[in-house]
Amino acid sequence: MTEEVKPKGSSGRKLWITITVVVVVIVVVASLAYVVTRPPSSTSKQLSKAQETLSITWANVPNIDPAIGSDEASSAALVNLYDTLVFPTANGTIIPDLATNWNVSSSGLVYTFHIRSGVTFHNGDALTAQDVAFSMDRLLTMGQGYAFLFIPYVQNTTAQNNNTIVFTLKTPDALFLVSLVRLYVLDEKQVMTHLGTGSYGSNGDYGSTWLLTHDAGSGPYEVIYANLEANMTIEEYTSYWDGTNTHQPKYVQFIGTSTPSTVQALFSSKEIQITDMWQEYSTITSLSSLPGAKMTIIPSSEEMYLMLNSQKAPTNDIYVREAMTYALNYTAIVSDVFPGSALAAGPAPTILPGHDPSIPTTQQNLTLAKQLIKESPYYGNLSKYPVTYYWVTAVPAEQKMALQFASDMAQIGITVNIVGVPWLTTVADLSNVSSSPNIVSIEVAANYYDVLSILQERYSKSSQGTWEQNEWLNNSTISDMIANASTIQNQTERYQLEYRIQQMIYNEYLSIYAFDVTEARAYYPGIVNWYAANGHPIALLGYDFVFRDIGFNATAMP
Amino acid sequence: MSVVTYTSKRALYSVISLFGLSVLVFVLARVLPGNPARLALGPNASQAAVNALIAELHLNAPLPVQYWYWISGIFTGNWGISLVTHRNVIIDVEQFLPATLELLITAAIIDLLLAVPLGLVAGRMENTYVDNVVRIVSYIGIAVPSFVVAILLQLTLGYGLHLFPIIGQLSPNFSAPPHITGLYVVDAVLTGEFGTAANAIWHLILPSFALALGPLAQEARILRSAVVENQNSDFTLAETARGFPERTITMKYLLKPSLIPMITIYALDVSSMIANAFLIELIFNWPGFSRYGLNAMLSKDLNAIIAVVVIAGILFVIANTLVDVTVGYLDPRIREQVGG
Repeated sequence: MTEEVKPKGSSGRKLWITITVVVVVIVVVASLAYVVTRPPSSTSKQLSKAQETLSITWANVPNIDPAIGSDEASSAALVNLYDTLVFPTANGTIIPDLATNWNVSSSGLVYTFHIRSGVTFHNGDALTAQDVAFSMDRLLTMGQGYAFLFIPYVQNTTAQNNNTIVFTLKTPDALFLVSLVRLYVLDEKQVMTHLGTGSYGSNGDYGSTWLLTHDAGSGPYEVIYANLEANMTIEEYTSYWDGTNTHQPKYVQFIGTSTPSTVQALFSSKEIQITDMWQEYSTITSLSSLPGAKMTIIPSSEEMYLMLNSQKAPTNDIYVREAMTYALNYTAIVSDVFPGSALAAGPAPTILPGHDPSIPTTQQNLTLAKQLIKESPYYGNLSKYPVTYYWVTAVPAEQKMALQFASDMAQIGITVNIVGVPWLTTVADLSNVSSSPNIVSIEVAANYYDVLSILQERYSKSSQGTWEQNEWLNNSTISDMIANASTIQNQTERYQLEYRIQQMIYNEYLSIYAFDVTEARAYYPGIVNWYAANGHPIALLGYDFVFRDIGFNATAMP
Repeated sequence: MSVVTYTSKRALYSVISLFGLSVLVFVLARVLPGNPARLALGPNASQAAVNALIAELHLNAPLPVQYWYWISGIFTGNWGISLVTHRNVIIDVEQFLPATLELLITAAIIDLLLAVPLGLVAGRMENTYVDNVVRIVSYIGIAVPSFVVAILLQLTLGYGLHLFPIIGQLSPNFSAPPHITGLYVVDAVLTGEFGTAANAIWHLILPSFALALGPLAQEARILRSAVVENQNSDFTLAETARGFPERTITMKYLLKPSLIPMITIYALDVSSMIANAFLIELIFNWPGFSRYGLNAMLSKDLNAIIAVVVIAGILFVIANTLVDVTVGYLDPRIREQVGG
């Protein structure tokens, strides 16, 4: 007779004890770590580093090489780490920064700047005109970042002495001064002692590997920690030539995440004090209802376009394009799909200097749209010409806009095939007219503070084949006018020409101007006194985050 | 077949596998749409800069030539320039791999410490309420995706109860320890910064547990099945009949054969964590290799993509080889099967 082997209770109990011990060990370790590492309570007189740190989330960790970084986070970091010759103001003008004054030759080709004395880089080196020349040469040689602002115009840069720098241009560029807000001045000596191997001849990698995690600037903040996949921390530079402000944050942390759950948890526990701009409007609304929190909507120099392909049927017909323009329900998009955004008025964002104030916002007018579509040679055969509409899958809300568009177009007999496309495929397809769709929805931002930036990016012949133009506008007159505008020094005269260009583009119905983009963020006004949220934004990428001008109340931090 | 011969054969197979993987990944990375040089430098970069990068990356050369440049560079420390970080990929690997390895090692420890007792107790207490509780817990662990677990842990233990940090490797009050191994806990201990070590461990627990839960639930089930099967076998019966203490039977005679199937899965789970950890790294803002790989894919960063996949493949192959050798060592019958 065999006896069945039964598990015995004592074995099970021992194993349960083992599990309990493991769990207890984990909890004890966590508790000990918490006790050992927790920050001091807010009643302590000595503020912890965490309490003195303004933390903000961004889509990515900044790339702080001044010749490479140009996205939002990078631009925000660069304006704090480096100084520029001139500085932008909220009304679109510029004021002296490193340059105390300047003069322009009568030909408009020679710019001479006088550099202020006594400016030192973060390592103590004195800033000279030679550093400015080096920074421009490095930018032009590398050809990345904001180099495109200068490559077509700058002939050479010469340091006449320690305090005088001369730029000679190939052709007059009326916006050269404005563009100089993107020339960040590096310490030549420091960069040249950190050269790695690279493709720039005797300059190796031009210091780009080192400059990814270090700075060589003279700005009001300096880098103390940088991890390209997680975060970067900068600290105030106490020897800054313009002094430090009493209430500016001592430290600022750039956290490279826009994962909604993470941002919500961080903001709710006040571990970040300003959210990134990539959260859903409903998320921002929810976060701003937390005690002490508030929502801010900041205008930007970006506009959302539905770019209409003027070389492909049926959007190659102006009546179809005009009918589409009047069939779209803009109010629904602005209020429901992208709440917080503003109605657009023509080819350039309304906040930009040089925007034509006579161009109105567009409203849905179905009666007019139905009349216009009847004028089209495609009328009666529209079912044979469905339009392809691309939306970029990285921005889910764009799908809702596409559905709204398709629904509105159905009312005038146009069939819309909506296609969600990854960004890389969008870029690849827009490189060729035959693979470009009829319509694609994309946001485009100005690179400098003038509508000319948008006009060059969007409607000049040179931007054909890039993701910034699906219109395939083959209009030499408009291209020439845009090129001509950039040579006019007189602002009033230039604006007049810019107005005419905008009118011409507007009258061709080349794009549907869906809305002006705004940035909705949640922040804690009791901790952060932020000029951009207080109604004084500088709608130029990065310049809403000049930290020495932002008040920070560390004692209000948990 | 001797253990040495068996191990040599497995190592040879591994090298062949890695070569095949490298060719496959290289070709796949090259046929993705879009010009990688233009993507890396941005739409506004000058054409001269784009052309220079194309030449630097040999993108105009035939694929076999490109592959030769790449594979020969691997052995000389030149892994190519990352199009996103603009530096040698090997520097990125040195920076980001340790963070993921630290996460992975902690997850592997948590996995083992919980899966073995859970599986063993469930098997020994087959069809009791204890078994049922472990089963339900296991099913939940298997069914719920790791990113959901991560978010729940972050919101409850992190934000809600403030027991653990929400993101990162260290609190703002701490600086990274001097770089020795790149593993924060190890480096902090080696340099005597015990507060930093404790803080790093504190930050490791939630992401590691989120990463380990799915695998440990699966392994507990596998171990439980093996224990159930083995405890009803003749050899267990014989040992019981001879009056061996239950502890000896369980820990010495029952656990060892029951672990074989679990070890195979355990090694594969742990090695695949390096590729699967990107969501956890994203949620906890962990500066790891997996997240780096995800960004590389999204940016068509050719050299980085290849490096990530090949390193993940190497770890996978190493884990597989170790499993094969371990299982072969534990069970001579397997060595004989392979030897023919």
